[in-house]
Amino acid sequence: MIRFDNLSKRYTGGLEALRNVSFEMDSGEMAFLTGHSGAGKSTLLKLLMLIERPTAGNLLINGKNLSRLSKSRIPFYRRQLGVVFQNHQLLFDRSVFENVALPLQVSGYTPGEIGRRVRAALDGVGLLDREKNNPIELSGGEQQRVGIARAVVHKPKILLADEPTGNLDPQLSAEIMALFKRFQDVGVTVLIATHDIDLINKMNLRIMRLNQGELELDGLAHDIS
Amino acid sequence: MLREPLQTLLTVVVIAIALTLPTALYISVENIRQLSGGVESSAQMTVFVKKGARSGAIEKLGEQLGKLPGVASVSYISAETALEEFNALSGFGSALQYLDENPLPEAFLVQPLLLNDSAKLVAEIRQIALVEDVQLDMEWLRRLDALLDMGRKLVLALGAALGIGVILVVGNTIRLAIQSRRDEIVIVKLVGGTDAYVRRPFLYTGLLFGFFGAFIAALLLIGLGLWLEPSVNTLASLYQSQFRLTGLGVSGFITLLGIGGTVGLAGAWISVAQHMRDIKPR
Repeated sequence: MIRFDNLSKRYTGGLEALRNVSFEMDSGEMAFLTGHSGAGKSTLLKLLMLIERPTAGNLLINGKNLSRLSKSRIPFYRRQLGVVFQNHQLLFDRSVFENVALPLQVSGYTPGEIGRRVRAALDGVGLLDREKNNPIELSGGEQQRVGIARAVVHKPKILLADEPTGNLDPQLSAEIMALFKRFQDVGVTVLIATHDIDLINKMNLRIMRLNQGELELDGLAHDIS
Repeated sequence: MLREPLQTLLTVVVIAIALTLPTALYISVENIRQLSGGVESSAQMTVFVKKGARSGAIEKLGEQLGKLPGVASVSYISAETALEEFNALSGFGSALQYLDENPLPEAFLVQPLLLNDSAKLVAEIRQIALVEDVQLDMEWLRRLDALLDMGRKLVLALGAALGIGVILVVGNTIRLAIQSRRDEIVIVKLVGGTDAYVRRPFLYTGLLFGFFGAFIAALLLIGLGLWLEPSVNTLASLYQSQFRLTGLGVSGFITLLGIGGTVGLAGAWISVAQHMRDIKPR
């Protein structure tokens, strides 16, 4: 599903954020991306979101080379992704429902279909009774779950998460991880960038560790430690 | 658009004023042109008869003039009548007493059917043996025409300048709207919104600004018309004229809306093209 083929990214300032990174993820696989801050986790996710373009190497999604994707096709590519942000990026001038509905609106779904799917997504994260609230009235964990509902409402094939448990206590973090696991179970490819070591160790999943732009480790958690 | 009601109102009012000024000038020019059209159709020519012509020949000349194609009516002014009129109106009456004879010629006033034909008619009448000269008093009409021509150019220049002003005003308002919705634009782009999807609401906003501005401009013009109408009617009746003020009209109103919408859309388009590029997800 995702294939990094000798990928490098050098920013215009000269900083080499990623160096010859190669890995592959199958459809329905779930993995953690770890490393110190500045190791290149965010850059890797930005390349996947096409916010940044690689300076060398190939990035293939579902067999398609993203470097050949024209600028006007980027929005359509992004509709295959679901992204959970560290600071959840919710809009506080509209309700929870409207926040979650955004990916469907930009893709031109009918209002009926939007209502059905948004409620299903909110039900999935246990926030169905909060659809009319403003996100600002919700707790940090609830806001993150709204962000997750927005990331999965359009049934993406790939789910990316950047420090999704960053500001949450261990119990909430475990709940969020259980949510991600459920998406993996229905065939979504899930890649989570985190440095929450405790959490990773509790779940025996694939770990890819970046160090100064290079892929230092790649394997199952229990094999590595 | 409705998030900043004061900003919105100010923008719409500025657009309305900018559209009202050239449109009011345009309507004035058109009205004066209509008025001058009315005068043109009543333009007369004076045919002077050669000195010493016998009265029988003069009578025949009158008949001949009346039969010419393109002549609406002919009236005879004898030298004596002309002298009396001159005496009464010029104030040089006493000076005339020193003259031995009447210096004024016999004359006919000829009313052409159409002003356009009058030049041809003048040439035709000049051919007649008994005619000394023909005068078509149109100089002042030509001057008015030149003035109106200048007025029309002024409308265009003023319209263009204020149109550019409207584009800038709308552009600036849209720029502020884009900046205040920066977060939203970033998120919409991240979840797969196309540039067209992001652009659309701002373009609609510009279009609506233009429409509302034009609509208010039309209301201002109607108000201006109602305010001026009694004075214009009084003036017209003093000149025994049937002249009535002509307003914008339905087609004028639609044109004004079209111009307003176009200018608003243009302003939004320029602003969106300029500022949307800067907003990228990080």
